[in-house]
Amino acid sequence: MDYLETAEGEEIAIDRARRGDHEAFRALVDRHARAVFRLAFRMTGSEVDGEDVAQETFLKAWKQIQRFDGRATFGTWLHRICANCALDHIRARKRKQDVQFDSAVQMAEDAPSPERMAQSSQVSAILGSALDELTDMERSAFVLRHYEGLGIKEISAALGVQQGAAKHTVFRAVQKLRRALLPVAAAHRK
Amino acid sequence: MKHLSEEDLILIYYNEPGPSAEMRTHASECAECRDAADLLAYTLGLCDEWTVPEPDTAFERRLWAGLAPAIAAQSVRRMTPSRWFAPRYWIAVGAVVLLMAGAFVLGRVSGDRNTPNASGPMLAGLSNQARQRILDISLADHLDRAGRLLTEISNTDAPGMAVERGRAQDLVEEGRLMRQMLKLRGATSTLAFLDEVERVLLEVANTPDTVSETEMKAVRERIGSSSLLFKVRVIEANLRTQGQRL
Repeated sequence: MDYLETAEGEEIAIDRARRGDHEAFRALVDRHARAVFRLAFRMTGSEVDGEDVAQETFLKAWKQIQRFDGRATFGTWLHRICANCALDHIRARKRKQDVQFDSAVQMAEDAPSPERMAQSSQVSAILGSALDELTDMERSAFVLRHYEGLGIKEISAALGVQQGAAKHTVFRAVQKLRRALLPVAAAHRK
Repeated sequence: MKHLSEEDLILIYYNEPGPSAEMRTHASECAECRDAADLLAYTLGLCDEWTVPEPDTAFERRLWAGLAPAIAAQSVRRMTPSRWFAPRYWIAVGAVVLLMAGAFVLGRVSGDRNTPNASGPMLAGLSNQARQRILDISLADHLDRAGRLLTEISNTDAPGMAVERGRAQDLVEEGRLMRQMLKLRGATSTLAFLDEVERVLLEVANTPDTVSETEMKAVRERIGSSSLLFKVRVIEANLRTQGQRL
C-alpha cells in the first residue's frame, strides 16, 4: 500500500521511521530520492557527485530524524540537509576547471532547428561557465530559488542564513548570470 | 514614480514579497521597466535550458543498497542510548535502586552489614560491598548519560529541544532515586554534586518548545561556567574505578 500518497500517510511513515522502522524510512527515500538527486546534481554539477550527495543526505536524515519537528514539510527539511551536504561536498572536492555540466537540452517534439540547437549548446556552455563562477552560496541560493522554487524564507532556512542575506545572495547570483547570458539573450531577442 | 531597480524586478519575477502593488503595476506599464523585466525574464528563461538527466529506473534501488548497511549500523549504535532512555529501562533501574535502598535500610537497622542475608530475599547472597559496587556503577552510568546529553546541548545549534527536554526529565527523575540512595549512605559530597547536575538538567527540562538563540546560549553558559561537564566525567571515572575495586 502506498500510504505515502497522502500527507497523513507521510506523517505515519515519518513517525514509524523515528521509531527505527527501516522499511518506513525506505518508503520516504523512494518518495523523495529524485527530488533530492535533482537538487544535488544542480548544486554539484555532476551525476556521480549528485548520487553521492543524495546518499549522504538520506543517511544524515536517518541520523537526525528525531530532530524533525514537522514545522516544515519533510521535503523542505530534506532540501536543507541536501543543500548542506552538497555545500560540504563542493568545498571538499578539489575545484576542477573542466567540470562538465550535463546540459541535456529539452528537445521539442519536432526536431529542433539548427539555430535552436546552436543556441542551446551555446547557452549550456555559457551557463555552465557562469554557474562555475558563482560562489558556493550563490549557486546554492540560485538553484534553490530558480529550479526548486523555494521562497527566500525557505532558502534562508536551508542554507542557515538570515533572510536578508539569502535575498542578497540570490540577487548577486541572478546579476552574475544575467551579465554572463546577456550576449546570448540580446542576440536572440532581436 | 521612479524606475524599478534590478533587485525589484528580480523579486517581481520570482513573485517574492517586497515590491508594492504600485511597483508591480509600474513594471507592466512603464515601457523602460517593462523592457528590462522582459529581458530579465528571457535571460532567466534561458537557465531552464539546463535540465537534469533523469536517473535510471534502478536509481532508488541503488540508493537504498548503499544506505541500508549504514542505516543498520547506525541503528545498532542508536539502540544503546535509546535503550537507556526507554521508560521501561529507567523504571527497571529505579526498581533496582529502590530494592537496593531497601537492602541498605535493612542492613543498617539490623546492624549487621556484613551478613549477606540481612538484605532480604531479593538480594540474598549479596554482600554490602557488592551492593555498594552496583550503586557506584549505576551512578556512573547515570552520570555518563547526563554528560552525553549536556555535551550534545553544548554542541548543537539546532533550534527546538523537544527530544533533549524529555531526556533531561528522565535523568532528573533517575537522579532523584540516586540521591535517595546516597542520602542513606551518607555520601554528602556526591549528593551535593548531584544537586548541581540536577539544577542544570531541570533548566533543560523546563525550556520552552521554541528556544531563542539567547536562551540556548544561556543554557550552554550554565553548562560550561562551573566546568560541570569536566566534573561529571571525572566523578564518573572515579565511580567506575571504585566499583571495579570493590
